[in-house]
Amino acid sequence: MLVDLAQNTLDGLTSGAAYALLALGFTLIFGVLRRMNLSYGPTIMFGAYCATWVSLNYQVGLLLLALITVAGAVLAGGYVERLCFAPHRRGSAIAAMVASFALWMQFEELATILLPRHLYAFPALYDGGPLTFGPLFLRVEALAMLAAAAAVCPMLWWTLYRTRFGLAVRAVISQPVAAELAGISAPRVFFLVFALASAIGGLTGYLIAASHEQVTPMLGMWTTLKGLLAMMLGGLGSLPGAVLGGLALGVIEAHTQWFLGPQMRDLIAYLLLFALLAINPPWMAAWTTTRSAS
Amino acid sequence: MDDYTIGVLTNIALFSFVALSAYLLLLAGEMSFGQQAFFGVGAYCGGMLTTLFGWPLPAAVLAAMAAGAAAQFLVGLPTLRMRGLYFAMATLAAAEMMRILFELLHFQRSIEGDLVGPDGTQGFRSIRWVFEAGVEPAEYLALIVALLALVVAGFGLVERSRLGATLRMIGEDPELAASVGVNVERVKLGVAAVAGALAALGGVLYAHHNTYIEPRNFDIMLGVHSLAYALIGGLGTAVGPLLGVLLDVGALEGSRLFEGYRMTVFGGLVALLLIFRPRGLLDERVVHWLRARFS
Repeated sequence: MLVDLAQNTLDGLTSGAAYALLALGFTLIFGVLRRMNLSYGPTIMFGAYCATWVSLNYQVGLLLLALITVAGAVLAGGYVERLCFAPHRRGSAIAAMVASFALWMQFEELATILLPRHLYAFPALYDGGPLTFGPLFLRVEALAMLAAAAAVCPMLWWTLYRTRFGLAVRAVISQPVAAELAGISAPRVFFLVFALASAIGGLTGYLIAASHEQVTPMLGMWTTLKGLLAMMLGGLGSLPGAVLGGLALGVIEAHTQWFLGPQMRDLIAYLLLFALLAINPPWMAAWTTTRSAS
Repeated sequence: MDDYTIGVLTNIALFSFVALSAYLLLLAGEMSFGQQAFFGVGAYCGGMLTTLFGWPLPAAVLAAMAAGAAAQFLVGLPTLRMRGLYFAMATLAAAEMMRILFELLHFQRSIEGDLVGPDGTQGFRSIRWVFEAGVEPAEYLALIVALLALVVAGFGLVERSRLGATLRMIGEDPELAASVGVNVERVKLGVAAVAGALAALGGVLYAHHNTYIEPRNFDIMLGVHSLAYALIGGLGTAVGPLLGVLLDVGALEGSRLFEGYRMTVFGGLVALLLIFRPRGLLDERVVHWLRARFS
């Protein structure tokens, strides 16, 4: 029983690490642009599909596959930014969001044109069995996901708080007008933030596909929904919150799935989100001030 | 008309109801990701009443609308105070919960030797009232279009009234509206109930057109599509959402012009359109211009 609980918590933390990374990407985009990118998941799915296509047609190494996924996601993300967010920078947030949804439809169709079957195998990281730590099991892919989260968080912190680019990003967030007067090009910052978020998304997408050992077009919706849920659970717009929200979502899901089954798992995750939004605890209001998304 | 045309037109009219419900909320300044839930409530409620309890369709339609209104009213109570993305996410969460509840809903009874009723993820078959009553597809289409015309006419009346102005004022600036004595919360709750009833009306008609529904019909795709329809068509008039549905379902699917590339074409067009017309084709300015010109 205790072992089960520990194992579930461990599994939850590893899927939570994936959610945390997705939520980080969402939060980066939302925090900087104050716009919601519904296409975030689909761009990741598109990257994973590019890698799947390459792996089906050529003999390539795992590292190259990961790079292709990241490159595909960054390319797709750049396209989304140019078409959906750059034109609406000062305009309507709803229009930007609906436009990003329109491109989601494109990515889903492009993926099925590229690879028409519903499901394709994706190469795993490691063919052997899981690692064992006493009574606990940990798959190599899960370990890689944890490692990726542990590496990305400090790197992102360093980028945002210790580089000139990070300074520009924070300047654009807190004082957009002053930042532009100081010679910072906001459109360029937005584009680079988008690319950065897409790169994190691509890496996460690669690890998710490798750990599921398959890709389907549903990966797009799945990543968007999980990332959004984790971001909102952690309080919209805070990076540490996004990580905590992701980990919490993973652990809660693992336990509810174990005790109550997959449908109750999703039901409880959404119920939690709904209740949190309705109660609106202080940590969720911290970042939002008076700026609404409309 | 051949069956295919009738089918496409029926779908256009059916999705118009849920697009109109998203449009109504947009007028009041709220962006809902969850209108699919009330479409689903209407479909399940109406379908169960006609198949399991032998109600005639008109009574089932009224009951389904009442259920949709009640459901969105209840969801609205804790959520309508939220702004922007918070409201969108809360309605999304509510709608996904509803979809999972449809997956968990097993209520089958034997009617004339057949096992009917919702069977969780296996869906809900044999909602056959329309066939059994001998209503031809073209007649059913006429009925749906007539109801839709009534709804659009209702929108037209409201938009010309004081209530329409109040709605748009709340959408633009709720604080200002409250400061001139509008009870924002009460108006928004009323709007939510009407939007729920509209979506449910579409749902119950959809269930009886398709004769088969399953929880997956009511996922987030439908909700975001209806939001997109309202925004593409334009926020200036209730004809806007209809235009949005017509463009997507009618022009692209119906014409089979871009077979296999429909979504790619549609998605790109929508993104481009929104750059030049962020409030849709028939936005307020166009509608004012048309009104000044033709009245």
